Amino acid sequence: MKRALAARIGVGLVLAVYAAVSLYPFAWMISAAFKDQFEVVAGGHLIPHHPTLSTLAQTWTDLHFFDYFLNSLEVTGFTAVLVVLVYAASGYAFAVLDFPGSRVFYRMFLALLFVPGVTVLLPVVLLENKLGLLGGHWGLILPFVNGSAPLSILLLTNGFRAIPLELREAARVDGAGELRIFSTIYLPLARPILITIALLTAIPTWNEYLLTRVSLNDPGTFTLPIALQNLQSGAVLHYNTLMAGAFIVVIPVIVLFVAAQRYFVNALVGAVKA
Amino acid sequence: MAVSTETPALAANRPAPAPHRRRYRWSEVVAGYAFLAPALVLFAVLGVYTIVYGFSLSFASWNGFSPHWTWVGVQNYVDLLWADPARAPRVHQAALHTLAVMVAVPLLTVLISFPLALLLNSIRRFKTVLRSIYFLPYVTAGIAVYFAWQYILEPGGAINTLLRTVGLGSLQQPQGFLGNPSTALPTMIVVTVWSAVPVSMLLYLAGLQSMDGNLIEAAQIDGAGWWRISRSILWPLLRPITAVIVLLNVRDSLQGFQTFLIMTNGGPGDHTNVLGLEAYRLAFLARLGPTLGLASALGWLLFLAALLLAAVNLRVMRRVT
Repeated sequence: MKRALAARIGVGLVLAVYAAVSLYPFAWMISAAFKDQFEVVAGGHLIPHHPTLSTLAQTWTDLHFFDYFLNSLEVTGFTAVLVVLVYAASGYAFAVLDFPGSRVFYRMFLALLFVPGVTVLLPVVLLENKLGLLGGHWGLILPFVNGSAPLSILLLTNGFRAIPLELREAARVDGAGELRIFSTIYLPLARPILITIALLTAIPTWNEYLLTRVSLNDPGTFTLPIALQNLQSGAVLHYNTLMAGAFIVVIPVIVLFVAAQRYFVNALVGAVKA
Repeated sequence: MAVSTETPALAANRPAPAPHRRRYRWSEVVAGYAFLAPALVLFAVLGVYTIVYGFSLSFASWNGFSPHWTWVGVQNYVDLLWADPARAPRVHQAALHTLAVMVAVPLLTVLISFPLALLLNSIRRFKTVLRSIYFLPYVTAGIAVYFAWQYILEPGGAINTLLRTVGLGSLQQPQGFLGNPSTALPTMIVVTVWSAVPVSMLLYLAGLQSMDGNLIEAAQIDGAGWWRISRSILWPLLRPITAVIVLLNVRDSLQGFQTFLIMTNGGPGDHTNVLGLEAYRLAFLARLGPTLGLASALGWLLFLAALLLAAVNLRVMRRVT
């Protein structure tokens, strides 16, 4: 019994240590966000001696993080909604409709998974420059949507295949068209997968940095990651402001994750099993 | 309905409709293309066009502004791989760094996430809370968290302070962990592993939870201890998951460079330059130099390497399982 107890304590200790490792950068991020400029320069202690909200407030208003927040929300929202709509339709076509070329197209979309992002980054930017999309939010949204194609199509096609075909046949007998069957039977039944896809799209989009950095020039269009980058490359680096900005970037994602954790776990497991 | 709560992959046992089973129904063909149209249009423009364009560009020399490309054949590839005395050594050095990351990250990720999943699976209380905490680095992965890392790795940052407090002051880095050329790359590997552990741990956990409990019970009755069970039963059974984790991390290490761009930008003195970052610099940071073809060529070399690795991985997986 004594040995069992020792083992349990050991297990708990290891798990606690890794939890600390996972949280460590966040702890310091939050700590710095609540310090003023003098205290953050002095460094040393995790818990602020004179905690202040002024750094956060200043970043939010004076440094326009509220505007960047709205920009990020716009890009992320449109991307997630479009991904769900566009690829739910594709998934429906691949899963239940019988038409020539469906297998070829399906494989073609999945093959996209192997093309490295950096390989297409440059042609995308050059193309958007030609089309006049570069620098605006749609110049980000459209490539993001296309980039989510492989995983979304994979998950949605599999999800729709799991819905019994009898439901569709019954609706057809009642005279329903494809659009009606899709929107009144398939979409509602696949709701958990749709939410999953929306989350799996929204989070990387919220954090996206590479294409955004080379696309946006006008501060009025900046999303949060680029605003943060700008803070860092500014003349004087204040870590309390930088960490306050980082905190603003991270908080919505954490809230979203905690609220919808179940969908996440299922999604990742499902994606890899597939 | 029970159907909707299943994980997608598990439920997909019905085969795809076979195309030559019978004649196509007209209305269904029209509907099929109509439903697929938005995705296809996007793919044609942003997928096919850009891929073809990028591939052609890899055989040309261009600075992005002059009206015409100069065709140079495979010269870009040759220059990158060995011929150009200014570029090739940089590529070789970046390839070595990339290789180090590609070996170290999957290895360390498996070494940490497998035991972590075993331990987490063995406890009853706090399981969900701990799982959420371990998962945070994945959902927040991005510039914000990498700046936080940068902050604690500073010369006067939290890591140095921590080392001093626990009496390991000799391990402190007065230039900061990212400022010292000999610690920069290992530090970047640690940060990458930190972000890679969550997904791997979760996959192992899912594998463990879907496992037959009788097997483990039988082993326990036979007197096998924790270590024995983990090593001789669980590890072999979870080998397919290990293969997936290795594949994912090898691919990400080969192609990923965002963390490097944000935290070190290849420095100090190119000691953390990786191939993806080199391609990105050639494409976007070379000002007026005619490096766009080179950037494309390097991108396609990375694609080729990814394909080769995937093929090798598939073979190894088949042999093992």
